[in-house]
Amino acid sequence: MKKYLLKRILISIATLLIILVILFLRLEFMPGSPFNDEKLTTAQVELLNAKYGLDKPVLVRFGNYVKNMLTGDFGVSYTISKNTPISTLLMSRLPISVKIGGQAVLLGTFFGLILGIIAALKHNTIWDTLTTVISVIGVSLPSYVFALGLSYTLGFKFELFPLLYSSKLPFESSILPTISLSMFTLASIARFTRTEMIEVMGSDYIQLAESKGISGIHLIVRHQLRNALIPIITVLAPLIVGLMTGSLVIEKIFSIPGIGSLLVTAIQSNDYNVIIAIAFIYSAMYIGIMLLVDILYGVIDPRIRLAKEESHE
Amino acid sequence: MKKIISLLMVLMLLLSVTACGSNDTAGSTAAESTTEAAAGSETANILKVQIDVEVASMDPQIATDGTSFEVMGDVTEGLYSVDAAGSPILAMAESVDKSEDGLTYTFHLRDANWSNGTPVTANDFVFAWKRLVDPATASEYSFIAEIAGIKNASAIIAGEMPVEELGAVAQDDKTLVVTLDFPVSYFESLMSFNSFFPVNEAFFTETGDLFGTSPETILANGPFKISAYEPAATTIELVKNEDYWDADAVQLDGIEYQVIKEAQQTMLAYQNGDLDVANLAGEQVEQFKADPEFNNVVAGYLWYISPNQTVAGLENVNLRKALALSYDKAAIVNNILKDGSIVADFAIPTLLATGPDGKDYRETAGTYLSTDKAKALEYYNTAKAELGVDTFSYTLIVEDTESAQNVAQFIQSEIQTTLPGMTITIETMPKKNRVERMQDGDFELGLTRWGPDYADPMTYLDMWTTGSSNNYGFWSNADYDAIIQSAKNGELALDLEARWEALKQAEAIVMDEAVIFPVYQKGNAVMIKSNVSGIEFHSVGINRIYKNAVKN
Repeated sequence: MKKYLLKRILISIATLLIILVILFLRLEFMPGSPFNDEKLTTAQVELLNAKYGLDKPVLVRFGNYVKNMLTGDFGVSYTISKNTPISTLLMSRLPISVKIGGQAVLLGTFFGLILGIIAALKHNTIWDTLTTVISVIGVSLPSYVFALGLSYTLGFKFELFPLLYSSKLPFESSILPTISLSMFTLASIARFTRTEMIEVMGSDYIQLAESKGISGIHLIVRHQLRNALIPIITVLAPLIVGLMTGSLVIEKIFSIPGIGSLLVTAIQSNDYNVIIAIAFIYSAMYIGIMLLVDILYGVIDPRIRLAKEESHE
Repeated sequence: MKKIISLLMVLMLLLSVTACGSNDTAGSTAAESTTEAAAGSETANILKVQIDVEVASMDPQIATDGTSFEVMGDVTEGLYSVDAAGSPILAMAESVDKSEDGLTYTFHLRDANWSNGTPVTANDFVFAWKRLVDPATASEYSFIAEIAGIKNASAIIAGEMPVEELGAVAQDDKTLVVTLDFPVSYFESLMSFNSFFPVNEAFFTETGDLFGTSPETILANGPFKISAYEPAATTIELVKNEDYWDADAVQLDGIEYQVIKEAQQTMLAYQNGDLDVANLAGEQVEQFKADPEFNNVVAGYLWYISPNQTVAGLENVNLRKALALSYDKAAIVNNILKDGSIVADFAIPTLLATGPDGKDYRETAGTYLSTDKAKALEYYNTAKAELGVDTFSYTLIVEDTESAQNVAQFIQSEIQTTLPGMTITIETMPKKNRVERMQDGDFELGLTRWGPDYADPMTYLDMWTTGSSNNYGFWSNADYDAIIQSAKNGELALDLEARWEALKQAEAIVMDEAVIFPVYQKGNAVMIKSNVSGIEFHSVGINRIYKNAVKN
C-alpha cells in the first residue's frame, strides 16, 4: 500500500510539471501581451517587458519560473493588481473559494444522498418522481441561473440573505452562493444514489441480510449505502472539480473575493502569472482529489485495495 | 479493524454534514447580531458606491486605470485639485508664482500633514515625480511628464539623462520650483492628475514592496483615508480624514466601494438600498430611463473607426469620406447604445477642454463628417471613378464587447445599404488583440476608442502626427505635423489664443481628410439615490470626485 501511494504521488508531481509546461506554452502562443494597451508606446512596452523579464526566451523564463516557484515565489501580477506578489493576492482569496466550494460539496452530497436514498426506498412513488424532477432540473440548469434566481427571490424580494458576499457577514452572505453552487452536485448525487441503491437493494446479499433479520437504519447505512457508495465516489471527484469551474461564474455574480473571479479577470487582461498560478492550483486540486478518491476506494471496498496491491507489488 | 475504519469513514461523512447543518443555526444567529450592528452604523453618513472593476494599484506613479485614479483621488491630493466645472483649484499648493515666460512655477505648499502626522513637503513631490520619469520604475504614464513639459523629462524617460536632472527642485520644505522646457497652457490642470501626486519618501522606503497594498501602507493627505483595502479587493472602505486641511468642507463620514461585475446584481443591490451610486449597463437603460434617480454623464471617450490608409482604396480621400458619412450616428446613440452617448461629428470630444476665451472647445469649433447618405453616395461614385474599381470589400475589426459588436453590425449594414458594391466583414476579438493588430497595422478598418489624458485638444490631435504609435491609419500630413509641433513646444505654445485657433484648424484638417470616422462620444448611465448630491463628474483625469458629496 505504501509503495503504491508513493508511486501515485510521484506520478502526480510529474503530471503537475507537465501541466505547468503546457500552461506556459499556451500563454506563450496566446495572442497579445499584458502590455499592449493603446496608451503605451513601443519604447514603453520594451521597458516593461525588460522590467519583468518578459524579453527573455521562453525557455529561460520557464526555468526561472520553476526555480522561483519552488521557493514559493509565483511572480507578480502585471495588470490586475500591479506589482503585487501572486502569493499575497491568493493568500486571502484561496480560503474563501475553498470554504464556499467545500460548503457546496458537503451540502450537495448530504442532501443528494438523502434524496437518493428516499427515492430508492420509496421507489415508484410520488417521492421518487419528485426527486427525479429535482435531479433533472439541478443537472440541466446552469448554476448561474440558480444564482440569479436565488438572489432575486431570497435576496431581493424576501431580503433573507445578503445579495453580495461580505467579509463582515462571511457565513450569512455565503449561503446563496453555496446553494447555487451545490445544486449540480446535489442533483447528480441524488440520481446516482437512487440508481445504485435500487440495484444494491435487489441484490442477493441484501436479501440475505434481510433474512438474517437486519433491518432499519443499520441495513441502509451499513449494507446498502456502503455498497452504493463506490460508484458515487467515482462521480463525486469530477463533481468537485466541476464546482471549481462553476465557481468562476458564481464568484463573479456574488462579488466573492475568491480565486475564480480573479482567474476570469486575469484571462481577460493577459495577466500571465495570475493565470498560471490559479490554473496550477486547480490542477493540483484535481490531481489531489483523484488521489484521495483512489485511496477512499480502498477504504470503502477492501476488494479494490487488495486487487491493487496484488497488481502493484 | 478495517470494517471499523470504513464504518467510521461513512459516519464521518454524515456527521460532518450534520455538523455543518447545526453550524447553520449558530452561524445565522451570530450573523443576525452583526446585521443589527451594521444597521446601527448605517445611520452614519457613508456613501456606498459600486465600481465595475477592482482597483489595480494605489501607487500614484503605477496606476493607469480610471477606478484606481478615482479611489486614489479620494485619499491623495496633488498641488491642484479640480472644481465642479473641471478648472484647476489650489490644493496642496497654497499659492503659486508663475514667471513671465511661463517656464518657471514656484509653488508654496500649505501646512498640511500626511495621515501619519508627517508634513507634506516639496520633497514628496520631487521624489514622486522622479519615480514617474525613472526608467527603472517603468511607469506607463511617464509620458505625462513630457506632456507637462517638465525640464529634461523626455531625456530622462529615454534613459539619456540621470533622474537628478529633472526640472523639479525642493527649494525648502514648503517651496517647490518647477521649470519647464516650453510653456504648457494646461500645466496647472495637469497637476491635479494622479501621476503627479506626492509620495512621502521615508514612508515609501519603509514600506518597500508593500507600498499601497493595505490601509497601513497607504498614506492619505486628502479628504478621506483608507480603512479597509487589500490588493484586488472587492470592497474598499474609506473614512473621513480628520487631519485633512479642508476637513470642514467634507460632509461624508466615509465611502464604501463595492465591486460588482454582474449588471443584474448591481441593480438589485441598488434597489435594496445597499448602494447609493451604481452604473447601469446599456441593456438596463431602457428600464430605468424614466427614474428620477437616473443620470447621464458624458464621458471623454471618443469611439471612431480608423481606416488603414496603406490598404488599397482607403488611401482615397473620397472613399474615406463616403464611408464616414454613410452610417446613421443618431440611430447608433438613440437606438443601440441608449446610455447617454452623443453623436460625434468631431475629432475632439465635447466638455474636454476650455479655451482662453473661457468657452468649451466645441462651442467655437465646427462640426464635421455629419451623416449624409446622399453625399456619401456622391463621394463614393467619385472614388469609384478615381480608383477604377466598382466593388470594395473590407474587414472591420472589433473588440468582443456586446456594445462594440452591436454598433459594428449596425454600421456594417448601414454602409452596405448606402454604398452598393461595398462589402464589410466584421471580425471580433478580445480588446488586447484588437489594439495589437491596429498598432501593428495588421487591419483594414478598426473600431476603436480613445480616452483623454489631459484637458486639452492635444490629447487627441497628437495621435495623428506622422509616426505616432496611435496613428493607426498611417496618415501623414506635413502641414498638420507642423501645427502640432508648434502648438506643443514651438511658437504657438507662447500665444494661447493663436494656439487655440491653430488646434481648431488642425482638427479641421483631420476631419476634411477623414483620417478617422467619428462615431460617438461615450455617455455613462448612472443611478444616484435622490438623497445624494454633490458628486462631481469629470471626463478627464479623475472621473468622480466625492470631496463635496452630501448624503442626507
